[in-house]
Amino acid sequence: MARFDTLNTAWMVWDNPAPAPEGAVLEYTRELEKFLAEIERRAFRMAQVALRDPDDALDVVQDAMLKLTRSYASRPSPEWRPLFYRILENGIRDLQRRRTVRKRVMTWLPGPKEDPENEAQDPLENVADSAPPIPEKLMQAQAMQQLEESLRALPARQREAFMLRNFEGMDVAETASAMACSEGSVKTHYSRAVHALREQLGEVW
Amino acid sequence: MSERENDAFETRSRALFQDSVDGLDMRIRSRLTRARSMALEAAVENRRPWLFGWKMWAPAAGVTAAAILGLGLWIGSPIGHQAATLAESNIEDLDLVAATDEGSSDAMEMLQDDIDFYDFADKAANSGPAA
Repeated sequence: MARFDTLNTAWMVWDNPAPAPEGAVLEYTRELEKFLAEIERRAFRMAQVALRDPDDALDVVQDAMLKLTRSYASRPSPEWRPLFYRILENGIRDLQRRRTVRKRVMTWLPGPKEDPENEAQDPLENVADSAPPIPEKLMQAQAMQQLEESLRALPARQREAFMLRNFEGMDVAETASAMACSEGSVKTHYSRAVHALREQLGEVW
Repeated sequence: MSERENDAFETRSRALFQDSVDGLDMRIRSRLTRARSMALEAAVENRRPWLFGWKMWAPAAGVTAAAILGLGLWIGSPIGHQAATLAESNIEDLDLVAATDEGSSDAMEMLQDDIDFYDFADKAANSGPAA
């Protein structure tokens, strides 16, 4: 309890109170924004590698951000990254499961022969870029495409371990926390993923 | 496959991934920024002291108002009035029987002794007017 020598000092404290809770909220929001800004693009690319479709990937990333801020933002900031990626992976898996179910249902239903998603696309997106791509860039893009294809062919847990360790730069403990498994499992999944990818890409890379 | 080759593979794949991240188009970047803003708004909303959130109090206030209104209507209605009167008379009867003043033990004894009479009177009343 604060003690005041005179009534004036009490009034001075009353007029200039200690930092308002809003300041703390602002500080916390800034930290959260920094974290999300740092992570969002890589998270999007990782979701895109798994799902292929950029719109689906955006939806999954947005959901993961919302879930993190709504339910886990009060946790200490070092825990945010593994938590975020766990939410993201769950979202990816849910979407893949829904796709599988939808595909099974759609095979029983008569539908249009052409893919309606392609019809809805903006035709300008399909127009070739006027500037010729630099050969080196093109080669890099092709190499990345091959890597993505190979990653999609991996079992989900191996792909997850590889992306978190290699692309996101997480250590074994963090990856284990994000994948909700033991550190030993992470090492096994990662090692198998590297082995499988090198076998698949060995000749073209 | 050697350890060094594995390292080279990991470095190359990481670099390719980073390039693809840096090369994201503006449409994706802007949508990610929007998603981030939405998430931060949700975070600020969650962080506000719950005591000041009107949304928190609205359902509780509604339920309380409905309960008060229901009680008022029930008391004002004939059923409520009858129930209140019945409760009052029962309490009075109980007071008479369980009174601790002088003669209360007599009243209890009388009640026990004449129980057969009361039983008979009850049956007679239920069977209709006596012939």
